[in-house]
Amino acid sequence: MQPNLTRRQAIARTLGLAGAAAMAPPALAASPHRKQLLVLFLSGGASQLETWDPKPGTKFGGPFRAINTSLDGVRIGELLPRTAKIMHKLAVVRSVNSNLPDHEKGHYAIQAGRLAPGYPVLGSAVAKLLEQPGDVLPGYITLRRDGPKAYTDTGDAGFLGAKYEGVRVINGLPPENLIVPAGINAAALQTRDAARRAADERFLRTHAKAPINGYGTTFDQARALMQRREIFDLKAESPKDIERYGRHDFGQNCMLARRLLEAGVPCVRVVHFDWDAHQDNFYWHQMRCAEFDRTFVTLLDDLEQRGMLEHTLVVVTGEMGRTPQINNFGGRDHWGRAWSVAMAGCGIKQGVVHGMTNDLGTEVKEDEVGIGDLFHTYLTALGIDSSADYHLNGQTNPVADPAARPIKAVLA
Amino acid sequence: MNRNSRFLKLLSLLAGTSLSAGEAVPLHEQIDGLMTKDWAAAKITPAVTSTDADFFRRLNLDLNGVIPTPAETKAFLDDRRTDKRPRAIDALLARPEYALHMARVFDVLLAERRLPAVKSYDVAATAWRGYLAESFAANKPWDVMAREILASDGSDESQPGAVKFYIARDAEPHQLTRDVARVFLGTDLQCAQCHDDPRFDDYKQADYFGIYAFVSRLSFFRDNKLNRSFVGEKAVGDVTFTSVFTTKQGKTDPRLPGGKMFADPKLEKGKEYVTAPSNSARGVPVYSRRKQLAEQMPRAETPGFSRNLGNRLWALMFGRGLVHPLDLHHAKNPPSHPAVLAAIEQWLVQHRYDIKGCLREIALSRCYQLSSELPGGVEPPVDAFAVSAMRALTPEQLRWSLLQAMGRMDTHFLRTLEQLKKTKPAEVETKLKDWHWKKDGYELLEKQSSAVIAAFSPLPGTDDSKIDPVVDHALFLLNSPKIIELIKVAPGTSFDRWGALSDPAALAEDLYLSLLNRRPIAQETEEVTGLMKSTKTPKERAEALQPLVWGLLLSAEFRFNH
Repeated sequence: MQPNLTRRQAIARTLGLAGAAAMAPPALAASPHRKQLLVLFLSGGASQLETWDPKPGTKFGGPFRAINTSLDGVRIGELLPRTAKIMHKLAVVRSVNSNLPDHEKGHYAIQAGRLAPGYPVLGSAVAKLLEQPGDVLPGYITLRRDGPKAYTDTGDAGFLGAKYEGVRVINGLPPENLIVPAGINAAALQTRDAARRAADERFLRTHAKAPINGYGTTFDQARALMQRREIFDLKAESPKDIERYGRHDFGQNCMLARRLLEAGVPCVRVVHFDWDAHQDNFYWHQMRCAEFDRTFVTLLDDLEQRGMLEHTLVVVTGEMGRTPQINNFGGRDHWGRAWSVAMAGCGIKQGVVHGMTNDLGTEVKEDEVGIGDLFHTYLTALGIDSSADYHLNGQTNPVADPAARPIKAVLA
Repeated sequence: MNRNSRFLKLLSLLAGTSLSAGEAVPLHEQIDGLMTKDWAAAKITPAVTSTDADFFRRLNLDLNGVIPTPAETKAFLDDRRTDKRPRAIDALLARPEYALHMARVFDVLLAERRLPAVKSYDVAATAWRGYLAESFAANKPWDVMAREILASDGSDESQPGAVKFYIARDAEPHQLTRDVARVFLGTDLQCAQCHDDPRFDDYKQADYFGIYAFVSRLSFFRDNKLNRSFVGEKAVGDVTFTSVFTTKQGKTDPRLPGGKMFADPKLEKGKEYVTAPSNSARGVPVYSRRKQLAEQMPRAETPGFSRNLGNRLWALMFGRGLVHPLDLHHAKNPPSHPAVLAAIEQWLVQHRYDIKGCLREIALSRCYQLSSELPGGVEPPVDAFAVSAMRALTPEQLRWSLLQAMGRMDTHFLRTLEQLKKTKPAEVETKLKDWHWKKDGYELLEKQSSAVIAAFSPLPGTDDSKIDPVVDHALFLLNSPKIIELIKVAPGTSFDRWGALSDPAALAEDLYLSLLNRRPIAQETEEVTGLMKSTKTPKERAEALQPLVWGLLLSAEFRFNH
C-alpha cells in the first residue's frame, strides 16, 4: 500500500529526489512551520440548501440549481461556481446537528464546542494550546466590519482569561492608539514602564498570579502590536490583489487575515455578516454567496501558493443553518438540526463529503455530527490532543467535550 | 400561616438557622459562621484579615465607587479606635457618593449598557440615573424599585426615567422576557424560547411563555411632539407556543415560573382601552398585563426574586456571585455556599429588601474583610471566597479613581464651592446640606473622563463581574491623548501638592497614599528619593515624578480592586 505522502515528499519524488528525502525526513530537514487556524464565520447562519447541500427540485429546494464540482458525483449550489472547482481540496460535513436555532447561544456553542458556558472559543483555545515560548503577538485576532450585533463577540477566552481574548480589528482599521503621542521623550517612557513592572513584581510576590500576569501581558501585546503595526497596513498590498479579494469588507478582511497569518499570528477569524435571511432568502444568498465564493477561492489559492495551506486549518462555519421550510416572506428561519460545515488545509483530508441529510433536507440521515465532534476535529487537525485537559487556577477542564469524538473521515 | 411566613420558614431551614435565632444573630456573623464551616469541610485555609489600607481602599471602591483621597486614607490609618472599620462602613454608606455610585451600578445592572435601536430615542441619562440616585438616597426597598421600573410606561411625571428598562430594549417582548428573567430572577430562559432547555430540567418553555405573556402586548412608542419615548400596550393578543422538538403546543396566560396564571378580566367589548393604539397615540389598555407583572413579581414568594438580589449584592462586594454566572441559577449550577445565600435571602425578606442594610452586613463580615494576599502562597478556588479576589475596576470605578488619584475631583468640587460662595453666598449653607449639589457636580466631571468609559466599557449585555483587561485597554492607557490629558502635569492636580513637597519621604508618602491608597515601603521611598535627586523647583519635581505616577497608574495594584 502506498504510504501517505506529505506534499513536500510528493514534490521531492516528482523531482527525482526520493532518495534524499528518505534519508532526511522533512521534519528534520526543516523545522515544520507552526500550525495556524483561520475561521471564516458566516454570521447569521448561511443556508446549507443554497450552499453545500442543495436539494434542487424538491419541496423546500428553492429556485437555484445544483452544479457539478471538481469532485466526482458531488454537487453544490450554483451560487458557488468558483468553490465548485476546488471541491477536491475541501472536506464538507453535511450532517451537522447542533440543535441550537439561536444566534447568541449558537455563536458561543459552535465556537466553544459545547453548551456549558465559560469555555474558550476555538480561536482562543487554539491560541492557548499552540502557544510557544517567546510569543508576543496576540494569539487570536478577529476581523469584522462594524456591526450592530454584539453577539458576534460573545464568549471568547472564557476561563483562559484576557491574554487569549480575540483582539478586535473592526473595519480593517488597526487597533486604536498604536502610536506613541508626540512630545513624550523616550527616557520618560522607560521610567514609566520600569515603574509599572517593578510595582507588579512586588505585588506578585503575595498575590494571585493569573490576574496580574494577564494584565501585564496586555502591555506586552500592546508593545508587540505597536512595533509591528505595518501588518495591518493593507495599502502595502497591490491594487490588483485588493481587486482579487473583492472590494467589500469580507474580501478586504480576508486579505488582512492572510497578512496576519503570514506575520505569525496563530489564529485569525473573519466574520462575514448578514446571512440571517428571514426575508428574501434567495436574493440575499445571491449577494452573500457572490462575495464569499470569489474571496474564499482567492484566499485558498493564495494560502496554497505561499505554502501556508499545509500548516493552516481553514474552517467555514456559521452559528447555525437555515430552515428547509420557506416562510411567507420568502425567507428561511433559524435552524440547527441538519446543516453543513466546510474545512480545508492542515490535517484535513481533501475531497471528502461526510454525512448526508434526507431528501428534503429536514433531518440528518447518515453520520450525524454534533458541535463537540466538530471541535474535536478542528483540534485534531491541528495536531492537538483533543482528549487533554486544561489545568488552570486549581481547576481541571477538558479541552473538548469528553462525550464527543473527532470525525475520522475528514482527517488526513 | 400566610405565604410569606411559610416562605421565610423554608429559607431559615435552608440557612440552617431558626427564625428566632436568625433575628438575634446578625447577618454578618451568620455569614462568617457558615463560611467557616464550609472552609473547614473543604480543608481550605482562608486568608488573614486585610490590612487597614487594603480594607479602606476596597470599601471605598465597593460602597462609593472611587478610591479614597490621601487625606481620608491617612486619617483612617492613623485612627486608633478599635471600631474604626464599622465606623468607616457607616460613614461611606451615609455619603451622597453612595447613592450616586449605586445609581451607576444599577444602571449597568438593569440596562446593561444597552441602547434602543435609534440611539437618540433613549431615555435622558439624567432622568434615569436621577431616578436611581433618588431611590438609593432614600434607600427605597428593592421590591418597590422593581415594581416602579416594571410598571413604568414613561408617563409618570414624578419619575419619567424609570421606563429605561423597557426603552433600552426597544420594548421588544422576547428581549424583555429574557431580561426580566435574567435581571430580576437570575435565570436565563433563552433556550426555553424554542423548546424545553435540554441543559436544565428546570427551564421550561411554558415558563418562558408565561413571562412572555406579561410583555407580549408591549411596543415602543416615540412621541415626536414631546420628544420622549414611551411604552405602548395593546389590550388583546394571546400567547401560544410550539416546541421545535416535540411540536407539542401550549397556550398560556401571564404566569411567573412555578406560579398561577393570571387571566385577563372580562371587559365589555369596545371598552378595553383608555386610549386605543394608533399611529399618533400610545395604546393604554384598561387592564394592563405589564402592571400585573409589576404587581406580582416583586414578592418574596416569586422563586428567584429575593435570591437574585442577594446574589447580585454579594457579587457587588466580592466580584463574583454565590451563584455564578449571575443569571444562571438552575439545579445543575447551584450556589457555591447555599446556606449563605439562603441566610442573605432570609435577611432581605425580613428587612423588606433593605439594600443599604444588606451591604452594611456584608461589609461587616470577616469574609469581606479578608486579605487579598494568598494564604500560605496557595490560591484557594475562586468560589470559596477564602481570599479577597482581584477584580478589574469597572469602567466607572476606573474613571473616578483616575480623577481622584490626580486630585481632579477635589479641585473640581472646591472650585464649584468657591463659585457658589461668590455668586450666591446666601445659598451655600442650604445647598451643602442637600446632597444634590454633589450630584450636579459629578455630571460636570463626567465630561473630563468620558473617553475612559468609551474605551473600557464591555459589550452591551455583559455584567461587570466578567470584565477582563484586554490589549485595547493597555493601548489606551499607554498612548491615548485622552489619558495623557488626564495625567499630565497641570495646575489644579495632585502635582501642585507633590511639587511643593521638598522632603522626599513626605513626598513618597503622599504619592503612594494618593495613587495606591497605602504608605510606601522603604524601597519605594528610596526610588522616589532617587528620582528627586538634582531637582530643585516644584516644576522640576513634578516633571521628574510624572513618569513614575503614570507607571503606578498602569500597575495591577491600581487597576484591580483587591
